[in-house]
Amino acid sequence: MSNWRAVVERAGGLDFDSASRDLAQLREALDRMNSLMSAATPSQQHGFEKRVAELKAPKKDVNALILDYLTMEGYPKAAAKFCKEANLQPQQPDPSIHSRQDIQQAIHSGNIETAISALNKLDPEILDTNPELHFSLLRLQLVELIRQCGSGDVTPALEFASKKLAPRAATNRDFLNDLEQTMSLVIFSHDSLRPELRALLSSDLRRTTASKVNEAVLLRQTQRREAAIRQLVRMRAWAETSARGKNKDLPESLQLGLNADSAEYGESSHEAMITT
Amino acid sequence: MARPQTPPLLSQIRVARSYSEQATALRALRDELVGHIQRKERWIQNGILEPLVEILQDDVRSPTRLIGKEPSQTGQPGFLSDHEMVRLLCLQLIASFAYGGAAFLAPIHAAGVVPAVMSVISPADNSRQVVLAALRALSNITASAELTPIGGGYTSRLSDALFSSGPVDALRTILFHGSLDSMVQEQKCLVAGLISRLCKSPRHQNALADAGILDSLATMLASFVVSRGEVVPGAELAGQTNGLARLRPAPAPPGADLALVLEALSTIVADSRFRSCYLLSSPAIMSVFPSVEFMPPATESRAAWNALEANGFGDLGTKNPGAIDYLLPAVPVPKLYSRGRNEYPPLGFSQSRDALAGSGRSSTFKFTGIDLGRLDVSSEEEDDDEPESPLIPWLIHLVRSTDGLERVMAAALLTSLFKSGFAVPEREQALAFLVIPLLCQLLKEHDKEVPASVQQAAFVEPDTATQWAIQERTLDVLARLVGDSEVLQQAAYDCGIIKMVAKLLKDSYEPHPVQSAPRPWSPEPEQTNDFEQGLATCRLGPPGQLPATAHKIRMRESALKLVTAMATLSKDYREALVEADIVPYIVESLSTFPGKPKSPKEQPASEKGRDGGDAGGASPYGPNLNAVIMAACHATRALARLPSIVRTTLQDHGIAMPINKLLRHPAAEVQIAASSAVINLLTNCSPMVEPLLDAGVVKTLCEHAHSLNPGLQLNALWALKHLVVNLDNNLRKQCLEELEPGWLVQLISDDASEDEAFRAQARPERRVTTTNPADEEDEDMENTENLYEDDSSQSWIWPAMSLIPPAAAAGSRRLQQVSLKLGLLREAELSPARKCRADTIAIQEQGLGFIRNLLMLPTPASQTDMVDYLFTELGQDRLFGILADKLKVRVVGAFGRRGRSAAGTARGGGGGGGGGNDTLVVYPQPRIVENLTYILVHMAAGVPRHRQLVVAQTELLRLLGGHFNSKDAGVRRALCQLFVNLSFLEGEADRGACSQRALELERLGFVAKLEGLERGDGDLDVRERAKAAVAQLKTPTV
Repeated sequence: MSNWRAVVERAGGLDFDSASRDLAQLREALDRMNSLMSAATPSQQHGFEKRVAELKAPKKDVNALILDYLTMEGYPKAAAKFCKEANLQPQQPDPSIHSRQDIQQAIHSGNIETAISALNKLDPEILDTNPELHFSLLRLQLVELIRQCGSGDVTPALEFASKKLAPRAATNRDFLNDLEQTMSLVIFSHDSLRPELRALLSSDLRRTTASKVNEAVLLRQTQRREAAIRQLVRMRAWAETSARGKNKDLPESLQLGLNADSAEYGESSHEAMITT
Repeated sequence: MARPQTPPLLSQIRVARSYSEQATALRALRDELVGHIQRKERWIQNGILEPLVEILQDDVRSPTRLIGKEPSQTGQPGFLSDHEMVRLLCLQLIASFAYGGAAFLAPIHAAGVVPAVMSVISPADNSRQVVLAALRALSNITASAELTPIGGGYTSRLSDALFSSGPVDALRTILFHGSLDSMVQEQKCLVAGLISRLCKSPRHQNALADAGILDSLATMLASFVVSRGEVVPGAELAGQTNGLARLRPAPAPPGADLALVLEALSTIVADSRFRSCYLLSSPAIMSVFPSVEFMPPATESRAAWNALEANGFGDLGTKNPGAIDYLLPAVPVPKLYSRGRNEYPPLGFSQSRDALAGSGRSSTFKFTGIDLGRLDVSSEEEDDDEPESPLIPWLIHLVRSTDGLERVMAAALLTSLFKSGFAVPEREQALAFLVIPLLCQLLKEHDKEVPASVQQAAFVEPDTATQWAIQERTLDVLARLVGDSEVLQQAAYDCGIIKMVAKLLKDSYEPHPVQSAPRPWSPEPEQTNDFEQGLATCRLGPPGQLPATAHKIRMRESALKLVTAMATLSKDYREALVEADIVPYIVESLSTFPGKPKSPKEQPASEKGRDGGDAGGASPYGPNLNAVIMAACHATRALARLPSIVRTTLQDHGIAMPINKLLRHPAAEVQIAASSAVINLLTNCSPMVEPLLDAGVVKTLCEHAHSLNPGLQLNALWALKHLVVNLDNNLRKQCLEELEPGWLVQLISDDASEDEAFRAQARPERRVTTTNPADEEDEDMENTENLYEDDSSQSWIWPAMSLIPPAAAAGSRRLQQVSLKLGLLREAELSPARKCRADTIAIQEQGLGFIRNLLMLPTPASQTDMVDYLFTELGQDRLFGILADKLKVRVVGAFGRRGRSAAGTARGGGGGGGGGNDTLVVYPQPRIVENLTYILVHMAAGVPRHRQLVVAQTELLRLLGGHFNSKDAGVRRALCQLFVNLSFLEGEADRGACSQRALELERLGFVAKLEGLERGDGDLDVRERAKAAVAQLKTPTV
């Protein structure tokens, strides 16, 4: 699953055209997955693989899965192109994917105020009902402010923190910790930070916040958090772990067939145990 | 002016020159407010609500409205004019304020926000976004209203406003909208959610049924049947013949929510037979679930049924399984059911009626919510033997094939339909085997610890909210389902429900760490006195409960309901409940501000402590709403049906005093519940009689007996009836005095009130004409009456008829039957005359029972004394006269133009309402006859003088003779006992008089009748007593 994300994110996550190029890869991968199973010669085939080979995923379903992925992850242009190519009905109206995309883009480029405003335009209830999400956005905004101040005057950051973040921190232990941690960025030099503080300044924080926002919006709009394929991958991993746990007769290793590197499996099976 | 300086943004909104300017300001305000509770508070204090309301209302009134109308007509969902944008932003801001919680409700209501929002929910005049935002705002306001502390009353105000004719039309339009657009789907979900949360009173439920909302929800349900591919095979063909095929809905679109539809439906249907029938005969439901014969393509599909049948556990002989039944496992059905209910009514009914006698006999006497309609309509039932709708097995199938909230809601709707008698009796087994275990399983699965952070949060995540809803609703559904069914209680017991419910009840008394959400810190000092001053529209109200606290209290209520339901019938379950140590929690649930539940050992010391706690306000256990208190009263009543529990556990926990205190509770509904509990605490040999007497219970009960609230009157008389048995003669006399003999006579002789009820129906006047103008009759009744009044001039028309093509409607006999049946059911349920008669009969029964018990004394001397006292107080001839009147078949109501089907004669004399077209024949009710006969039995039990007196009442005896062939064994038993007593020989001195009496009785033809009973009565007890009476009459012995 991490590979899947990598396929898209390699292109910077925001480049629509390269996303559609990756899409071709994606589909190839899925096709390969099918053919990999059926290609093996019957004589060496494990009983399980034989059964897999007999099952054919209908092309329609595979296409729907891909469209779902593109829509949910927020690639409107790629989704539109794919729809045209595969002759599918769009899953969500274009504007809704677009506004999600805009919000993502604003967060990724550190423009949090725009993002909050756009989010309110899309659906004001999201931030109203989700204090955690609102807090993480505001904290990200604080980080951006501190970053802008650099070693200069930190007054704007301090004011922002005391007006917008501190009131909330009083209501929740976790908020308080996060705020304190963030505020220490004001004190210490940015060049020699401890790793957990350095993480705040890296683009990871933007990325995780952006995906939190995306999930929240999706949940409001579709009652789902993530693309269906993520769940499928986890389910497959869970099934494999539990089958192995019960000593069912399985081949040594089961590959997704996405690429030659099969180490991916170890990690996603851990995740599977958490989510199911 | 107390208001701080006006912020520039506010004036910008107020004096904006164009819509776009205003929109810009509103947008800025939105970004400032969303998610910031402190700023919301400040803006309320700045008086933001008034301009918002003005904008919404101006909008509607102004002539420029036509411009705003454009987008909705051109159907461009993406585009909004500036004008509409302003509206949308206002609504979003209001929704955001409503999220602030209960504190914001006071200014929201003061500013008239709700009517303003409702003025823009009509999809005909507003664009989709605006309608959606308005519904969201309403939904948020409702959510906050549910968290208001005691006495808010916002919820009922909201429901009154929303379920009035204008908004209801808008709601129906939204629900019938055919668009697949996701925004429309969300609108539908919000409407269904609003209905589920707000539609609690029968008045609103009927209004929604009559307005066609029930039909539109039924259509949505049918669309799920279609999308699941579970339409009954053959429906197409059947639909073509009766014209319903065109009404089959399209499959449910993505985004439609089955659980919400089911919840809204079960909320509207509730416990009403009329509305259940309405749902079953809704055209869309009939089009997907017609009653058609089904032959499975492969005969082996029937193997399971055949096997059961062969072993004596099936009923294929009487009917074939329908198509939907093949989706369910075959369930063994004991032969008992297979005989069908038609052969059963008298016996089967008296059994369930005994249960009812305890559990509230009509909707006036709220207990487990069994409706009167069900009792009386049995006679109608017999003549139209309608097949069960496949919707019922389909719902069982749905319970089995779904999970979570959908499963609970499917079970909720199923429960309504089952309880109102639309399922075949064999379904009880299916429910026991297929549904109850799943519900118990749900409770177990969702019983999880609530983390501390969630306990303090002002918002809970949707997942947690769903989990809570599942817990609460599952308990509710179980409570309603097992209410008075031994089979289902057994099933629930086998699933370990008693342990589970005890645990949940205990969990709901885990002390709560905080009472309200933690206040955010503020960099500026807070101005605390802002709450006290300023306009009402700018002043915040008190903060509400936390969602977690509200959940606990709802759990408490639902758990108590389930306790009640499990304790209604069986002694074993009552004992098991007491062993599970639930009584301390019941006791605490009887006070508004509960303390820590205590074991009996700690009890005495804490007695004073609790009184202090009551005044103390906030407690870590959360305030008990009236609903909780009532549920606790009912649980007490059900448990107290077992005398040993009254004598031990309930006594040890000192339950008498809290109950006594509740008899004086300000809310009438709580008084009714408390008086129902006191009934069973005052029974013979109860140790609580003494302390309750000392606490002045007689005076309280007598006052309640004089109340005009029929429920309270009934329970008070009932309790007094139990109480007098425990008293000696002096106290009995005092009790009668307190009750006022004249009033009692009036009560039992007051048949005129029935005539009056008829007249009340004709004139828009209150039912009871009394000297006391401030009567405290409950709201529902009054309003039902009004509602009824509105359309009593023309006959009721089935709203769904407008959906059916006229040609089909005229041609189909089925549809006409349905329409007729619905009309009858509606009449039966909503007719105030009928309800009033049922109330009067129940109350008179208790009045007669009171006299009966008054005369029941162990020693002959005091007995004679009491009879004489009664004669002097009530007047001997008057009393006998009244009793004779009670036995007469009466013809009432020259006004009774609609009276025939309303005749409450179901069980009387077996004749049914066979009167003329505009009169109503009322036969004496068996319960009345039985009590009355026992009064005579007691009179005749004393000295020969009294026996002589009774025999001398020729008219009375002649009338009684008519009841020898009563269907009710109790009546026949009482009659035999009367003649045993009358023919009793007191001693040698009495011999002459005794044979005189025997002769007189023979002359009246009683000996022959008694001999008839002796030979051929179905009841052993009756035969034995008849035998004794005959023997004594023939050869009196000392």
